[in-house]
Amino acid sequence: MEIIEKIKTNKLVENQTEIQKICLDKLQSSPLPNPKSELWRLSDKSKFSTFLDYSVNEKDLKFDTPYPKNSQNTIRLIIGENCQIKLIEDNYSIQQLSEHELDKYIKDQISCFDQNENWSDLLNLSLSCKKNILGLKINGSKIPPIEIFSHASCNSLNAKTLVILLEKNCDIQLLQVNLGKDNSSLSQSTFFFLEENSTLTHGVVSYGKNGSNLLNSLNVIQQKNSKYNLGSLHFKFNYARFEINIKQSEGNAKTNIKGMQITKKDEQISTYTKINFNGPNGFLDQINKSLADDKSHAIFEGSIIVPKIAQKTDASQLSRNLLLSDLAQIDTKPQLEIIADDVKCKHGATISQLNEEELFYMRTRGITLAEASKLQLSSYFQEIISFIPVSKDRWDLLDKILNEN
Amino acid sequence: MVNENLVKDVVKEPYKYGFVTDIETEKIAKGLNEDIVRLISQKKEEPKYLLDFRLKAFKKWQKMDEPDWAGLGYKQIDYQDIIYYSAPKQKEKISSLDEVDPKLLETFDKLGIPLTEQKKLTNVAVDAVFDSVSIATTFREELAEHGVIFCSISEAVKNHSNLIERYLGTVVPASDNYFAALNSAVFSDGSFVYIPKGVTCPMDLSSYFRINSGDSGQFERTLIIAEESSSVSYLEGCTAPMFDTNTLHAAVVELIALDDASIKYSTVQNWYAGDEDGVGGIFNFVTKRGKCLGKRSKISWSQVETGSAITWKYPSCLLLGEESVGEFYSVALTNNLQKADTGTKMIHIGPKTKSTIVSKGISAGNSINSYRGLVKMGTKAKGSRNYSQCDSMLIGDQASANTFPYIKSQQPNSEIEHEASTCRISEDQLFYLQSRGIEFEEAISMMVSGFCRDVFNQLPMEFAAEADKLLALKLEGSVG
Amino acid sequence: MQSQMKESDPILEVKNLFASTNNLPILKGVSLAVYPGEIHAIMGRNGCGKSTLSKIIAGHPSYNITDGDIKFSGENINALEPEERSQAGIFLGFQYPIEIPGVSNLEFLRVSTNARRKFLNKEELDTFDFEELVKEKLELVKMDQAFLSRSVNQGFSGGEKKRNEILQMALLEPKIAILDETDSGLDIDALRIVASGIKKISNAQTGIILITHYQRLLDEIEPNYVHVMADGQIIKTGGSDLALELEKKGYEWTDNFVKET
Repeated sequence: MEIIEKIKTNKLVENQTEIQKICLDKLQSSPLPNPKSELWRLSDKSKFSTFLDYSVNEKDLKFDTPYPKNSQNTIRLIIGENCQIKLIEDNYSIQQLSEHELDKYIKDQISCFDQNENWSDLLNLSLSCKKNILGLKINGSKIPPIEIFSHASCNSLNAKTLVILLEKNCDIQLLQVNLGKDNSSLSQSTFFFLEENSTLTHGVVSYGKNGSNLLNSLNVIQQKNSKYNLGSLHFKFNYARFEINIKQSEGNAKTNIKGMQITKKDEQISTYTKINFNGPNGFLDQINKSLADDKSHAIFEGSIIVPKIAQKTDASQLSRNLLLSDLAQIDTKPQLEIIADDVKCKHGATISQLNEEELFYMRTRGITLAEASKLQLSSYFQEIISFIPVSKDRWDLLDKILNEN
Repeated sequence: MVNENLVKDVVKEPYKYGFVTDIETEKIAKGLNEDIVRLISQKKEEPKYLLDFRLKAFKKWQKMDEPDWAGLGYKQIDYQDIIYYSAPKQKEKISSLDEVDPKLLETFDKLGIPLTEQKKLTNVAVDAVFDSVSIATTFREELAEHGVIFCSISEAVKNHSNLIERYLGTVVPASDNYFAALNSAVFSDGSFVYIPKGVTCPMDLSSYFRINSGDSGQFERTLIIAEESSSVSYLEGCTAPMFDTNTLHAAVVELIALDDASIKYSTVQNWYAGDEDGVGGIFNFVTKRGKCLGKRSKISWSQVETGSAITWKYPSCLLLGEESVGEFYSVALTNNLQKADTGTKMIHIGPKTKSTIVSKGISAGNSINSYRGLVKMGTKAKGSRNYSQCDSMLIGDQASANTFPYIKSQQPNSEIEHEASTCRISEDQLFYLQSRGIEFEEAISMMVSGFCRDVFNQLPMEFAAEADKLLALKLEGSVG
Repeated sequence: MQSQMKESDPILEVKNLFASTNNLPILKGVSLAVYPGEIHAIMGRNGCGKSTLSKIIAGHPSYNITDGDIKFSGENINALEPEERSQAGIFLGFQYPIEIPGVSNLEFLRVSTNARRKFLNKEELDTFDFEELVKEKLELVKMDQAFLSRSVNQGFSGGEKKRNEILQMALLEPKIAILDETDSGLDIDALRIVASGIKKISNAQTGIILITHYQRLLDEIEPNYVHVMADGQIIKTGGSDLALELEKKGYEWTDNFVKET
């Protein structure tokens, strides 16, 4: 845990920016998250410490995108490589945030950070150097889809940060791809601010290779009448955490989340979501699916917070889990915290294996058990994958990766 | 909302069990140390193994931290300011009920639990516990004919020592949690039930717990053992006088069911809840757990929790025996500034085990009502199933309802299903009932008891009616 | 019981079959032989074991054969997997066809048909060729092509589900088809469609077992043999007139047979 030592001695990075200083200060008093807190209790300690074992290395960042752009139309950005962008068209504009704007936004965020809940962001912002922070301001509509890549490099820890402000009435599709490399750790923190009436259709696809680790933190603030759709998929990580923190700052907004995590071998992947309704008439529809095979461990923990001010909230959260092996395990904890009385909230959770009656039905039609299972699994994935924007037509490739053993 | 004034006009029924019995009691000095533990054991003339059990528990307790994870936010309890043994003074040996102090009999009369031969309830055997000691147990001879042992735990220590030594602390180990450790060190009395092999207990058994003294804590201990192919239904009721201080109640209940045995444990908890401003009331920190040891054994918990300032209890089942069954049916109603954090743990260890959880939380006033539960499928729980349903009803916009289910599975060939929802009484429903001539208050209580129906159906007859009434009473004036 | 001599060997032969689920005995000695070209009807009250018999022949994993044999084309199939039985030509039409959300009906039918074709050493069909074949078979059950793009049985009405079963039977061309209450829940038009589908598929080489409660399907398809089941056994076997008699007298009438045996 070289990094923790460095945090303690405040020697993590050279030429610290102000943001890095603030975050390091916050971390110094207790450099590790509290392992007893609900958010970290189930985190595998040895896996987590491998995450922190790599040293920060900005050299040797060679990057090859896993698949070609599907059309000339798509805007592709790679954090840390080609972050220069300024597109001003008739119906839209995409510009980088000025250093001042970016600084101010991040500092505002940090001011309400909690040591445990935002530990991943604090670490990220302590590590992220200027060139690894991408800040964008987007407005308009009929914007071409955007793809943003973050990637680690072998035998090192890399931190990437993304900040996007969607201005009023803006409507975009954005796919974020996080790629792990052999024996690597990636810390990705993302901050979205959705102004009134804006719509973000967001996809997150994270996958690694042998011994990849990921801390992926996503923070979204939604102003009224905004709409946020998230489709996410995490797989092939020795250790991965996906933390989603969404705040409907005035209620009256819509949030749709469909997430999926697949664990095999002895991997551990977890998803933590916290949805906060800070005003009336909020809407949430969330489904999270896990699939755990071999000796792996999948974790989901979701909380929905509906304070008194959030009357007429309509929130639903579903955790569906498939446990495919005797040695795998699944933990799930969907939670509701409600004070407002005029609300419609529900949640549900199931853990099971593949449906036996469905399997039998297919087998009586001559389909082998293995094939029938595959058909069932791909239908299980389908609901989530079809919700991920931008690269729909390239999911063949994903299918292939998913079916690899 | 509708008829606000009407609701406010409804006279609030005071807590009708809030009286104090003026009786001479024997109390030991306040405070807790090793000598106090020894003193309690000595007063009860306990054998050495029990004293050792207490001392060990006490040592463990001293090393433990009071839990704060439930976020209940209560005022720090001063454990040195509590009296750990308080008993009404009476003659050394009581051979019949007639020798019990009439004041005590009168007290239980007033609580609706007459104990004397002439007046006693006909179909329920009652063990009445007053502060730290058991006062009387009815129907003992009748039960003895069937080989059923139903007595106070102190008596069982004397007369059935082998059973106590064998089973006490085997379901809830002394070190299980802070309050269980405290109870194990200082428990004063409680009930003991033993149902022999093949016997269906001829009548319901019931314990009635009464806290009378304001400065003593109550630490009762209940142990129920159901041998092979036996069955028993056990009821538990609780009340306490109104004091403006908080009284600690830290009980431990242990159930053991062997092959094909079944235990049904029902609770109507109506401890004093404190006043509208949250002053006074019982801190109800209870550990209840059942062990389904035998094949096809069954333990069923049903509870109606309406009292106490703070309730913190999770009646649980350890499902060890193949095809054993655990059930939890709960209604928890909180009003004013009450806090209830309740739920269950269903630990599936053996194969083909089954559990059902139905929890209904109703929060009114400024109260906080939480369901907290754990369902776990262990690696050997092949073919096991769980179904949970947790519904909350919110009355008024100041109350809060939380649901914290925790689900863990290590066995692919098992199924867990959890559902939860939140609702409120809609104005449309109210209007519909009122338009059919049903009074406002009546309509509310109809809907609340409809909401709780699944649980009430699980209660023994006499309890179900009482629970319905209790809810209606508690809700009065809470809707506005 | 059938005692007369037959020219060929039976397609399906069930010999003194005992079976149980969760240690609960369901079948208590069932014997039955179906020869090419024959149509058998099995009738009986709910819970008599009719559906269980069909599931066991198809190889449902929840049931254990405790004694007896199931022979298909002379081979014992007790140990075969459900898919192996299907590929070999045993078809089970489900009483309650299973809904499989997310799995497209077309894909399901194609994979299934190809599995059978592979077994028959026929060429497997690609999507285009298969669509041609399906279109032809859809006619048979008067189903719209739109059914193909939906998920397997999901959101289908009762009649649509049953017609989907017949469609599968038409595609798989089984040697023996066991239709478990395919007639239940159908209106008269749907019943005719299903019946004519069954008739088109049956021929001198195939065998059919109809499991039913009612006479009305048997009005459309006349069986060669009618078996009455009760308490896990076949208690009486007769010609098609037995079904008529049963319709008239009700199942109480059969209670006497149980006493006799």
